[in-house]
Amino acid sequence: MTFEPKIVGILCNWCSYTGADLAGTSRIKYAPNVRVVRVMCSGRVDPTFILKAFADGADGVLVAGCHPGDCHYIEGNYKTIRRMALLKRMLADYGIEPERFRLEWVSAGEGDRWAQVVNSITEDVRKLGPAKIRPALRKKISAA
Amino acid sequence: MKNLQLETGNQKLEEWMAKLKLAAYWAASCGGCDVAILDIHEKILDLAAAADIVFWPIAMDFKYSEVEAMPDGHIDVTLFNGAIRTSENEHLAHLLRAKSKTLVAFGSCAHIGGIPGLANLFTREEIFKRVYHEVPSMANPEKTEPEPKSTVAEGELTIPEFYNTVMTLDQVVDVDYYVPGCPPPPKQIWNVVQAIVSGKLPPKGAVIGASEKTQCDECPRKKQEKKITGFKRIATAQPDPDTCFLEQGFLCLGPVTRGGCDARCMTSGVPCRGCFGSPDGVVDMGAKAISAIASVIEAKDEAEVQRIIEQIPDTLRSFNRFGIPASLIRRKVL
Amino acid sequence: MKRISIDPITRLEGHGKIDIFLADDGSVANAYFQVPELRGFEKFVEGMPIEEVPRVVSRICGV
Repeated sequence: MTFEPKIVGILCNWCSYTGADLAGTSRIKYAPNVRVVRVMCSGRVDPTFILKAFADGADGVLVAGCHPGDCHYIEGNYKTIRRMALLKRMLADYGIEPERFRLEWVSAGEGDRWAQVVNSITEDVRKLGPAKIRPALRKKISAA
Repeated sequence: MKNLQLETGNQKLEEWMAKLKLAAYWAASCGGCDVAILDIHEKILDLAAAADIVFWPIAMDFKYSEVEAMPDGHIDVTLFNGAIRTSENEHLAHLLRAKSKTLVAFGSCAHIGGIPGLANLFTREEIFKRVYHEVPSMANPEKTEPEPKSTVAEGELTIPEFYNTVMTLDQVVDVDYYVPGCPPPPKQIWNVVQAIVSGKLPPKGAVIGASEKTQCDECPRKKQEKKITGFKRIATAQPDPDTCFLEQGFLCLGPVTRGGCDARCMTSGVPCRGCFGSPDGVVDMGAKAISAIASVIEAKDEAEVQRIIEQIPDTLRSFNRFGIPASLIRRKVL
Repeated sequence: MKRISIDPITRLEGHGKIDIFLADDGSVANAYFQVPELRGFEKFVEGMPIEEVPRVVSRICGV
């Protein structure tokens, strides 16, 4: 029984969600492991969402937005770059492997690219195995 | 607060019975919170007049057996400081919860994990190895380590189990109120004591002895516009004493930290490190700190962002120094 | 052997307990002082920026 990673995807409405939708309408076959959450802009993504996804049992998290310079709200994705850069460092401090979290730019016309990104992160996380965060959050964690 | 109408004809007994029964205890603690209570100075006499202290290891000689013998709910209010690091800390948390009508998580450690929570970035093995074998001042040729049970000639000795993970008080028992701060400021402690004695407490679960706003609201430093183009450290750069730290490029957690201490750090020349925890509505202080500070960095491409954030030497221990056990992930993955 | 346990020791900073074993004549045969606490500062300050360390290690003892 192969391990099927549970990956949470947080996608911006204008570019990446549309790109993902295009992958669907184009009938591209790709890994089904990403559960998509749509937000209006990747700049709205609070680092708390990623940490909560991991705490609630996600094996991987993917944030996708418009390419820098193409943000529907002009500057939103610049904030994304800054927030996610610091978040990556915090995830490393928590011992969460870097391959479990990705920030990707996917435009509305990049259905193929979306499929590629999903396949890629799914394989990376599959190789790492299940994330061990949630089991560690039992109420009491004794030395045993 | 009790309002006993006794017909004993014995005024001293009535007074004694009407006094609040107060306890204070320390788990994985430094004693600072207990000393902070004493720092209300002469008001300690008012406290002694209003309350009978029935358990307080730093100041009084009551034993665990005496607490165990109390009926449940016997203590009116227990101020519990310190984080939950060992099985003894947890045992006392459960014991004091049972014996107390009101249990208060007092100080950063009980509230959000505090400084002992930094140990959550390491394992029990790593900590034992360093403390009992590696430190230069340790002479331990037999390579002894603490064991919960040891057999000696006369019998068996027991010490608590050292858990793998530091926990907050509310991760082991129900907590009625939280008093934040490392330590809580004596001025706020007096406010809390008065609230307890007068019975004027907010609904259970509230943070008391603190503001609803952030540190920036109380900080006297001049604030204009935040556009960070680089980070500085007070080890290598001299901050201007009158200007906002963050605006000068010094990492300060003021914007995500609950107020209530009159900005005691910023008025002493150092930036805020978040000992009061975050205001209501924030689920993970470290995440919020990243979000807030990233918002005001002036950079639009990944290379420039990397160049700027590389000037911050440490991440989790700087963005969430006091609250790792209370954070969403709680500890470095085992 | 009769055993007297003092738990906790009080009116000082820190946790401690003492187990005293008495011989049949009531004299002290042996006594053990035990420190049931450890927080691990020696380990968790490793890698911290030097200027932050004083603000952390001041919490070893608040007295």
